[in-house]
Amino acid sequence: MLTADRENTADAAATPGHAPLLEFRNVRIVYDNAIEAIRDVSIAVPEGGIVALLGSNGAGKSTLLKAMSGILYTEEGEIESGAIRFQNEDVHHLPPDVLVRRGLVQVPEGRRVFPALTIDENLQMGGYTRTAAEARERRDKVFALFPRLFERRDQIAGYMSGGEQQMLAIGRALMTDPVLLALDEPSLGLAPLIIDRIYEVILRLRDEMKMTVLLVEQNAQRALDIADYGYILETGRVVLDGTAGKLTANEDVQEFYLGISATGRKSLREVKHYKRRKRWLS
Amino acid sequence: MQYFVQLLISGLAIGAIYGLIAMGFAVIYKSTGLVNFAQGEMTMIVAYIAWTVSTTVSGNIFVVSLAAILAAVVLGLVIERVVMRPMLGEPVFATVMVTIGLAVILRSSINFIWDAYPHGLDVGVGRGIVRVGGIGVRTGQIAVITTLLLLLAAIWAFFRYSKTGVAMRAVAADDRTALLMGISATKVHALAWAASSVIAGIGGVFFALSYDLSPAMFQLGLKAFPATILGGLDAVIGSGVGGLLIGLTENLAGGYISSGMKEVAGFAMIIVVLMIRPFGLFGERDIERV
Repeated sequence: MLTADRENTADAAATPGHAPLLEFRNVRIVYDNAIEAIRDVSIAVPEGGIVALLGSNGAGKSTLLKAMSGILYTEEGEIESGAIRFQNEDVHHLPPDVLVRRGLVQVPEGRRVFPALTIDENLQMGGYTRTAAEARERRDKVFALFPRLFERRDQIAGYMSGGEQQMLAIGRALMTDPVLLALDEPSLGLAPLIIDRIYEVILRLRDEMKMTVLLVEQNAQRALDIADYGYILETGRVVLDGTAGKLTANEDVQEFYLGISATGRKSLREVKHYKRRKRWLS
Repeated sequence: MQYFVQLLISGLAIGAIYGLIAMGFAVIYKSTGLVNFAQGEMTMIVAYIAWTVSTTVSGNIFVVSLAAILAAVVLGLVIERVVMRPMLGEPVFATVMVTIGLAVILRSSINFIWDAYPHGLDVGVGRGIVRVGGIGVRTGQIAVITTLLLLLAAIWAFFRYSKTGVAMRAVAADDRTALLMGISATKVHALAWAASSVIAGIGGVFFALSYDLSPAMFQLGLKAFPATILGGLDAVIGSGVGGLLIGLTENLAGGYISSGMKEVAGFAMIIVVLMIRPFGLFGERDIERV
């Protein structure tokens, strides 16, 4: 049974004696006072780790990130119960600019570069909360990480290719000097070669820049390749979590997220039947 | 020729006033995505406050200017905080209706606070006439054209080079992503309202200097709005230029064709221009690829 696979999140993810860097604690999120988007979700992101948050469309992955950044209110969403803790403090009541200053930053889904601004101006906006000197220093780092952005720095961002826009979106987020960087579907709509390049960068963020990464993906294979730990979200609930190795080995994950099947291709009807049996569809 | 130059200069002078108010529209639209239908009324209020200061405190031009600018800042901030901020995130249509309601309230407040009679704003300058080669130009006309040009240059530099200016463009383009970068949209909005109120207020004061104050002054907003559309609703510089163009067209048509054409000519030009460039002369085309 799936429930048996669930481990005690807090114990599994936190190193002994240390609380995780970012923690969602029994978070329940409701839209418009009526629609429940997230039900009792607990997720822990230990410092220096890469944690993958997997799930299909509409599972609530982006909602969790919006809650993390304090922008749920822009779409009438609200954390009804539970807490989000960052560096051992409750942060779910803080406004977005304070969260950014503290280093809790995300690269939004769909990249969201400012289309009419130049690449340089986009980066400048990333460094909005930093002093001019800090921003200059960060910008050099971003250009070192993405030489392509340096070459095109005076061009309008809206005319760049999808891969370049993703690089810009990551570079812009890095300008804020994040402690924890969340990436919302960085592989969305990109060619496999470009995805390789983006994932290389994500690894470098952790290994060279000592950043903690929360990776939200539909592309489970890619994410589990580099993550230490993963959570699988279905219709607003965590249905499975474990180390990346354990998730990759899990039959259900192979079946539904990695597209590997021991018994060959299955029809959609069978999959639905299976999901129902496993109570993954509610 | 002399007649032509005379028409040209007075056209530019009234156009500069339209342009200043049009820039007020554009600053708010550019950073909040809203058309502020109370712009003409805000302009009028600032001019009335300047007049009150000139008659009660001091007629010194510097005192009056400073008071007008301060009053405009306060007016802009108060409107943003009290009326517009609660509407944040509500549908654009509802918010625009709120600005229309605000316009009516501000318009009638002139009658409550002041009176319905026309007044002249006299600060001792602006009505003198300078003669250049047989052409008489009022100093107020020279001043308003110069002010517009200086403001155009300053605002262009502000949006292009200053961090706050770029942030205003970013909030206009995508306010939620701007929030994710730590840019406070409310601060940007407050700044936009204050700046818009000051820029348009300067136009109002110049109008009062050259013509007179009356409760019908809010109609300047109706003249300036087409200038904004002509220049491009999101183009602050373009709106200033649009104002000059409308002033010129009006004056030349009024002078050469008939005075009845004066009211029509500006709008006729707008229709033609918008048919060719629907986003205005200087407006940004939406970038399709995102």
